[in-house]
Amino acid sequence: MNKIWRVALYEYRRNVFKKSFLFTLLSIPLMVAFSVGLGFVLTSLENNDLPVGYIDQAHVMDKAIPAPVSGQSEPVIFISFQSENEARASLEAQEIQAYYVLPSDYLETRRIELVYAKKPGENAVRQWYDFLQINLLSDQPEEIASRTASGTDVTVRSLDGKRTMADSGPTFGNFMPVFISLAFLALILMSSGFLMGAVAEEKENRTMEIVVTSISPLQLIGGKLLGVIAIGLTLLVTWGLIVLAGVLAARQMGIGWFQDLGMDWSVVLATAAIAVPSYVLVSALMITIGTMVTSTQEGQSFSSIFIIFHMIPLYVGVAFLKNPANSLAVTLSLLPFTSLMTIAMRNLFYSVPAWQVAVSVCVQTLGALGAIWLASRAFRLGMLRYGQRLRWRRLFQSRQLGE
Amino acid sequence: MHPIEVSQIAKSFGDTQAVVDVSFDVKGGEIFGLLGPNGAGKTTAIRIVLDIFQPDRGKVSILGGPMSEDKKDRIGYMPEERGLYQDIPLERCLLYLASLKGTPDQKARKTLNDYLERFDLAEHKSKKVKELSKGMQQKAQIINTLLHQPELIIIDEPFTALDPLNLQLVKDVMQELRAQGVTIIMSTHQMQQVEELCDRILLINDGINVLYGNLDEIRQRFSGHAVMVRTGSNLPELPGVKDISSHNGDFKLTLMEDTTPQDVLKTLTARDIILEKFEIAVPTLSEIFIRVIEEGDAK
Repeated sequence: MNKIWRVALYEYRRNVFKKSFLFTLLSIPLMVAFSVGLGFVLTSLENNDLPVGYIDQAHVMDKAIPAPVSGQSEPVIFISFQSENEARASLEAQEIQAYYVLPSDYLETRRIELVYAKKPGENAVRQWYDFLQINLLSDQPEEIASRTASGTDVTVRSLDGKRTMADSGPTFGNFMPVFISLAFLALILMSSGFLMGAVAEEKENRTMEIVVTSISPLQLIGGKLLGVIAIGLTLLVTWGLIVLAGVLAARQMGIGWFQDLGMDWSVVLATAAIAVPSYVLVSALMITIGTMVTSTQEGQSFSSIFIIFHMIPLYVGVAFLKNPANSLAVTLSLLPFTSLMTIAMRNLFYSVPAWQVAVSVCVQTLGALGAIWLASRAFRLGMLRYGQRLRWRRLFQSRQLGE
Repeated sequence: MHPIEVSQIAKSFGDTQAVVDVSFDVKGGEIFGLLGPNGAGKTTAIRIVLDIFQPDRGKVSILGGPMSEDKKDRIGYMPEERGLYQDIPLERCLLYLASLKGTPDQKARKTLNDYLERFDLAEHKSKKVKELSKGMQQKAQIINTLLHQPELIIIDEPFTALDPLNLQLVKDVMQELRAQGVTIIMSTHQMQQVEELCDRILLINDGINVLYGNLDEIRQRFSGHAVMVRTGSNLPELPGVKDISSHNGDFKLTLMEDTTPQDVLKTLTARDIILEKFEIAVPTLSEIFIRVIEEGDAK
């Protein structure tokens, strides 16, 4: 077996056959599942499917025309009571969740009373107003009443016409490029962290001198990189399968948000085009750090700086949502570390111009080449500095390169 | 062509000249001692030989030419800075490092088992390296150097942290390897081991050669014109003897230029002096080392 593969296999087995890897493998899907699950639980807690009563002293709901129910909500039953005493008894018996009183002067005053023991569900309140509205329009032609009650189906379209979404918000398909970028980002940060640890470990264990007299530095770094890529792919494939299973289950359960999975593949391609040089850039920088520090622990504290840089788009994301073409968004789209997430987030609501993607890919590629150059210098200068930290300044002093 | 030929190498780090001018050859099947005080440039010279450092000038030929990737599999190296992967079992660590030397797995396992038995480490092979004692780790390092059965071994301070039993074991192994034709370069400060093992030595100081050649010839060169004598009584003045001095219970007799040891022996026996010991005075390597380094006496 080629020595590069031996190093890769060693690196893969050393990391993957550890209990802590299982935590890494499952932490992201569990976190996502927890967030999505929590959202659904909170939403369902806000809903209440018990009937709602009403006393119509204004006689605006004599016909009791039912309102159309949109989305996935179950229709709430509205029960008419002749007197407030009846309604109160029903509420106390927990047969209804609340009741409305439309006083006789409702049409003049617009005042309605709501009586409840516990705040009624949002679905019930929403459906009550649809029910009231359609009955107020009962003297109008049915289609006008129905159209008014149903509201408007707005499609939001970007200025260039390339990006459209419902006014209820982006679908799962719209979000897919952002999810893919997040997966790439997690992959970049995790696997480059593995790589940094793998290089720092050679220095920490003082095995570097034995290894470089057995294989070339290129074989060593190449093998470690391959091993780390294999670790990353293991993570990615596992996460992908878990997400796929989750989405299929959600579709089966009829959850509306997951019904539209159509996505813009040009955005996915742009994401991948930026992600690949970004991966090389961060990996090379992690190798540099790994050879400069004295221990894995010290390297991890250095690498956390890169994580902060990568997270900047998430912190300032509100600014992109308000105006995806503002100068901050454009700047962050072009810079190393921030480009991947920024472009993915902007693409949700806006078609990022091709020139910005192209410039970003060029910047990442140049950055990656520079980082490889820096990593090779750091490796040659720092590999035998056991227990000593290599200063950044020395990396750029050409006369030290012969060490 | 010798397995190692080093010609006038020099190496600086910034303003520090680690190696100024060092040349030596190492012959096939010999144990070669690379000696020198701390900071003399031994480790840098070894790293240049192994192509870890590029020399500023000079030439190195190893196993018939410049260092190449395939030659790395034919060389065993135990560096001054010891290192093994601490968090994995000893057996896995050594098999992995042997695999990097291109050793087939089955062959490596068999050789490893033999060495583990011999070095009394077999029962510890499943333990993590960090759980082993310092002496055990040292033995593991030596096994790592030998496991792929190299034809050239470069070993830096092989006797550190070894008890007398294990020290003898390592010496036995080195002598067996020499008998099999393996070439060994050994860098150490333990002069007694050098005297017992090495065929030839190079002593470097401040980055330059100060003593180089066959060990016996060097000791002869430094022996002076003297004999060591032990008797049951004090020695009288003797013809042809310039000076008599006491030396750890023996007498060191410094001879006049035209007197031979045989002349002195004849005189002593003629005078019925009972001799317990009579030998040509040859300095120890430690004494030569001190004379050369401290007094600058390189003969």
